[in-house]
Amino acid sequence: MSGLGTALVFWPGAVIMLATAVYVFRTSSMARAGLLLLASLGVEGLLFLALASEFLGVLQLLMMSGEMVVMTFFMVMFMPDPGGLMGMDMIHDKRRSASLAVAVTVALAVFAVLTDWPAETLNGEAPDVRQIGFEVMGRSMFSFLFAGITILFAMVGGTMLAKHGGRFAVEAEGDAR
Amino acid sequence: MISLPVVLAVAAVMFGIGLYGVLGQTNTIMVMMGVELMLGASMLNLVGFMRYAWPDAASGAFFVLIVMTLMALEAAVGFGLVISVFRNRRTAELDDLTELGG
Repeated sequence: MSGLGTALVFWPGAVIMLATAVYVFRTSSMARAGLLLLASLGVEGLLFLALASEFLGVLQLLMMSGEMVVMTFFMVMFMPDPGGLMGMDMIHDKRRSASLAVAVTVALAVFAVLTDWPAETLNGEAPDVRQIGFEVMGRSMFSFLFAGITILFAMVGGTMLAKHGGRFAVEAEGDAR
Repeated sequence: MISLPVVLAVAAVMFGIGLYGVLGQTNTIMVMMGVELMLGASMLNLVGFMRYAWPDAASGAFFVLIVMTLMALEAAVGFGLVISVFRNRRTAELDDLTELGG
């Protein structure tokens, strides 16, 4: 993608991504908040595509669409006011959290703009997806295997935590709970 | 046009929004959403570095894959914890969860 093409996708995408991210915490409907987060992270996938990372962009869209739909279900289940009809205020310590977030944002943005980063232009085509495959199956294979095992542990741990009575529960014989 | 500082600045704003959610929200699931946004910002940083600073290094994509894994793990363990807490306390509001025992 040319520089102009990247800019044409990046700027509107960045505005939509940040606006939807802000509205995640401003809407009072939980279903809407989950879908706004899905929109924000989905548009981030489009930014990845614009920044010549096709594989990661498509992966981001697939991962986030699945994860955020699950998250929306959980939000509707566990929020005291999932429809946002009672006008509950779900923010505490509003001023301090907002000022700390703004301070961190400004510090990071100033650091990003003022630092002399190394610059190297992309030579023509986007990086070959095969390179990522060789990286994952070669030098980084041990780390990738470790990530896979960690996912397995998290799945087992999450299921044990969610089990009725927690991980210490002793089920009676024939207890079907 | 787009450059590395621009991408990093956009990611910084996204990180700040996520941080506001983590610090300010009262519900556990909303806090998890803030963490997701912060991790999303870190992924945008990594893709920016990969595009504008080290375009030939495939290891940047590997780091993004690891962060995506981390997002999935955070959601899985977080939901497990929320279910467990909700079973015991009948709430997922953080203001009501101030004690570990009892």
